[in-house]
Amino acid sequence: MNLRFFSNLLLICFILLFTSCSQTPVFKQYETVFQVGDQQEWAAKELHDQNWQKRPKLVPDGKIFWYRTKIDILEASESLNPYGIFLHVYGEYEVFWDGVLIGKNGNPGQEADLPPEGELWPTFNIPSHLTNEGEHLMALRLSNYYFPDHLGIYELKIDYYDELLTDRLIESSYMNLFAGAFLITSFYFLFLFLSNKKEYATLIFSISCFLFFTLILAEFMKGYIPIHYNMHVIRLKIISALLLGISFFIPFYFSMQFPFPKRKLLLTIYAGLLLFIFLSRHVFELTANNMTLSMWLFSFGIVVFGVYKKMKGARLVLLTLLLSVPIGFVTPFNKSLFAGFSLILLGMFYLLSLRIKEQRLAYENSLVQSTRLRLELIKKNIQPHFLMNTLTSLIDWVEETPKKGVLFIEALAKEFDLFNQIENQTLIPIAQEIALCHTHLEIMEYRKEINYSLQEEGIDLEQKIPPGILHTLLENGITHSLPLEGNSIKFKLIFESNSDYKCYTFLTFAASVRQDANTKKEGTGLKYIKARLTESYNEQWELSSEPVHHGWKNTIKIYS
Amino acid sequence: MNILIIEDESRIAKRIERMTRAIFGDTLQSIKHSNTLHEALQFIENNSLDLVLLDLNLNGNNGFDLLTTAVSKSFHTIVISAYRDQAITAFEYGVLDFVPKPFNRERLEQALHRTIANEKIEKNEIKFLAVKKRHRIQLIPIEDVLYIKGAGAYTELFLAHEKKELHDKSLEQLEQLLSNTFERIHKSYLVKMSEIKEIIVESGSKYIAELKNGERIPIGRTRYKDIKAKWL
Repeated sequence: MNLRFFSNLLLICFILLFTSCSQTPVFKQYETVFQVGDQQEWAAKELHDQNWQKRPKLVPDGKIFWYRTKIDILEASESLNPYGIFLHVYGEYEVFWDGVLIGKNGNPGQEADLPPEGELWPTFNIPSHLTNEGEHLMALRLSNYYFPDHLGIYELKIDYYDELLTDRLIESSYMNLFAGAFLITSFYFLFLFLSNKKEYATLIFSISCFLFFTLILAEFMKGYIPIHYNMHVIRLKIISALLLGISFFIPFYFSMQFPFPKRKLLLTIYAGLLLFIFLSRHVFELTANNMTLSMWLFSFGIVVFGVYKKMKGARLVLLTLLLSVPIGFVTPFNKSLFAGFSLILLGMFYLLSLRIKEQRLAYENSLVQSTRLRLELIKKNIQPHFLMNTLTSLIDWVEETPKKGVLFIEALAKEFDLFNQIENQTLIPIAQEIALCHTHLEIMEYRKEINYSLQEEGIDLEQKIPPGILHTLLENGITHSLPLEGNSIKFKLIFESNSDYKCYTFLTFAASVRQDANTKKEGTGLKYIKARLTESYNEQWELSSEPVHHGWKNTIKIYS
Repeated sequence: MNILIIEDESRIAKRIERMTRAIFGDTLQSIKHSNTLHEALQFIENNSLDLVLLDLNLNGNNGFDLLTTAVSKSFHTIVISAYRDQAITAFEYGVLDFVPKPFNRERLEQALHRTIANEKIEKNEIKFLAVKKRHRIQLIPIEDVLYIKGAGAYTELFLAHEKKELHDKSLEQLEQLLSNTFERIHKSYLVKMSEIKEIIVESGSKYIAELKNGERIPIGRTRYKDIKAKWL
């Protein structure tokens, strides 16, 4: 319940974070015109440029060309607080405002000879006397040596110079905070995985968080690290690769939490599809879009399957997936990407917390179970059937043959002592268990006046077994058997082992008691043995118990 | 006295047998020990017995099936068991006594004495009478029984709604078990006191108990005073 509230709160925070407050712009931008060549007059505010080209195609070899853009300033800047202009243009260039050079970004025309200089997203100060309300002109003198087909002004923004600079930094700092949260989450779950290496889901979640962290860094480092435009493609490739990873790991994670038939096959096909999208030549946005969309669709399919199969947590995750859709439509792509991903990661986080809760419960349960088994072992010697019958026989021996009575008491003391030694352990040496069986037989001989014997064959004294399990088989054998001719009952313990398993065979040689057909339900003894085996060997064991011609046969196989 | 000991602990069985022989002395005609359920049931069917000493946990089996069979028979049953918590249930089924293990001679003697002395059970918790039907044993709740009529070695149970059942125990044996709520008002009748509506004296010193359902049952001349005092 708390967790649900928490995730809702986070969701609201994200929505607030990503719906940037929009202000009315202080400028209006007209269409940009373009001309190859280089004349200083082209910077002038007044110029007859009607015959300039509208749609530039390609200017090869780093030749110089010009852009001219008419801009209306709608509101003059305050005095002493100048406007600035933010540009996203490929190439190295000089910026002229109303014919005045206001900034330089690299060395236009000399790119082939000089090392790369300048950055892709510069901001220039516009002198405040040039930003009166009314018509203005921005001219760029530029060359584009590295991406001659990436022409045009991709983005242009005019606002107070200070704000242009700080807004980007604020955005980056928020996103870095956000990234930090995912970095810490990633480390936390990595450590969780390292402490329990069977939990691959935590590892996958950790990797997804780490990839998401690097994705945010790669996307938003442009706010504070100047990147030359020739590096831009490399950055986009890095982002695509990170997206590829995330797009694979998220559905992979869901497939672990909500297992479905033919999982491996479908995942392989999906990985192939992602690789195909990644490697095919598309504009970056399309590649990213396609991968994200495939990720979303595949995850959606898996989660819907989970909901259909009524798996735990599937409905909430489905909700987060569905919520990420409207966010994708409302916000611009680079923001929706982050909002959507964080939502989905939150869903994954929720699932993990559910699993961790389940594990905790299972662990607590196992503690309770161990305590219960321990009690059951102790109870063996104080449960009325054993204790009262033993005491009654003991009284009789003491009254009739006191010397034998003393021996009986000694045997009883020995059994109690052995129980005392093993009662708080989950595995004991086989020799101790066999000793326990022998004293028990001694006691039973005094009680039942039957000649009991226990033979061992092939016992490996190095072996350990859960306490009381052979003892329980022996008890069952005594209870359900009648003596053979000669008033004797024989037991035999055989140990065999190979590379696959260890096997204990416990045989009873006796006449069996006629049992009612309807009393075949499993006794408490066998339940105890099974619970003990599960406690020490999980599912890696097998127990069979069946009548045979000479009496009874029990087999315990423990797989290695 | 013909006695059957049902006990799978050989030492304990011998102890019971030895003490029983000592207690009954010459009055003991036969004593038999059985250590399995199956053997015991067969012996009960084929022999006439006066007393069964029964351990409820034989070879890991629950002895209550055997108990219901035993209590439906003409003999009394005494349970000797390690499980003290079974005592209440055993009494509800109509055993004469419950001897918890470990026991000494005094405790066993006390129990056995009840059979000889026709001693009544003071603190009676009997809830059912087990009645043998053709293939099974039916437990009849005591509250359904109005009165019991002796018919030689066995008895007739008269129940509510004009139903009637036969029981293998004698009137004397049932009187022992039911002494809490039932009174022997006549040598042939055992009546539940709470069912008596009126005690009528007719001419010729005939005493009649009229039940709530209108049935009239004679009261023995010698018992009239006692019964009237108890009834009032």
